[in-house]
Amino acid sequence: MTAVILAMIAALLIPMVEAFQDEDIWQRMLAFASIATKTSVMILAVSVLRDDWMIGVVGVLILSVGNAALMLLAHVIKRLNEVTEG
Amino acid sequence: MINILSDGCMIIGLVFWFWGTWPLLGQRSVLYKLHSLSVADTLGSMAIVMGLLLRIPHEWPLLLLALISLAIWNTVLGYVLAYCSTREIGHDG
Amino acid sequence: MAGYLNLLLRLTIWFLLTADLSWDNLLLGVTIAVLLPRGATNPGTLKDWLYTLGEVVAAIPQAYKEAFEIMIYPHHHEAITLERAKPRRTPSLLFLDIFLITFTPKTIVQHYCEQGWYEVHRIQRRPTP
Repeated sequence: MTAVILAMIAALLIPMVEAFQDEDIWQRMLAFASIATKTSVMILAVSVLRDDWMIGVVGVLILSVGNAALMLLAHVIKRLNEVTEG
Repeated sequence: MINILSDGCMIIGLVFWFWGTWPLLGQRSVLYKLHSLSVADTLGSMAIVMGLLLRIPHEWPLLLLALISLAIWNTVLGYVLAYCSTREIGHDG
Repeated sequence: MAGYLNLLLRLTIWFLLTADLSWDNLLLGVTIAVLLPRGATNPGTLKDWLYTLGEVVAAIPQAYKEAFEIMIYPHHHEAITLERAKPRRTPSLLFLDIFLITFTPKTIVQHYCEQGWYEVHRIQRRPTP
């Protein structure tokens, strides 16, 4: 299980690097979406590793509330782009 | 036996994660990256949660909810990002 | 008929969330599911719903199959195609249709036109002629 968590952390680094290096807003949004999913799955895995299901409930709650904020943000950015470009 | 199956699911999930997240670093279009992210984040995460489910079957209701919400939210986010990041052609909306 | 599906969906989420099948909890769940406001939209026929839900279940192995295909054979070419939506779909069935197309990794719906067309973005092994 510990190896799985370590591998997950390594996978989490990839979108983080992308979010830092790319200037384009949509590429960044993609990276953030990826980070959001990966961290909540990691929370579930950690809860199994530590055998503490309270952590797991938090993970499930985060997953079921989901990426609503990212969707709203995407719409706001789209609107902003439309306004600034005319 | 169950443990082997569970490990298998998690390894498949992790392979999906790495394979699908790697193209993020390249110079492809947003939509192309979205395709590989849907492999990684939806299917890979679903495989990992399946692995966890095999390991702690007594928590199946919450893990099933996690599986369903993973599938729905990630797919819808993919659609919303695709919709918002492409230019409007010819019509407004 | 399809109004019951709505209730059933709410009850499913409730029981998955609470994981408790006692009578008190059942009563509470049914009360909440009935009391929550419902949209006044035409729900569509039960047959359409069952058919589409069946397609969703079938889409899961299909999605994994496509994922392995993309991993084994590189798909480097992108294309945008138009696909006709099925006629007389209600908004919730349309949502399920878009979900189905986007769930499989090779295709993503990027736009839905009111006239009943999806703009589908897909990746392919060969460029389109």
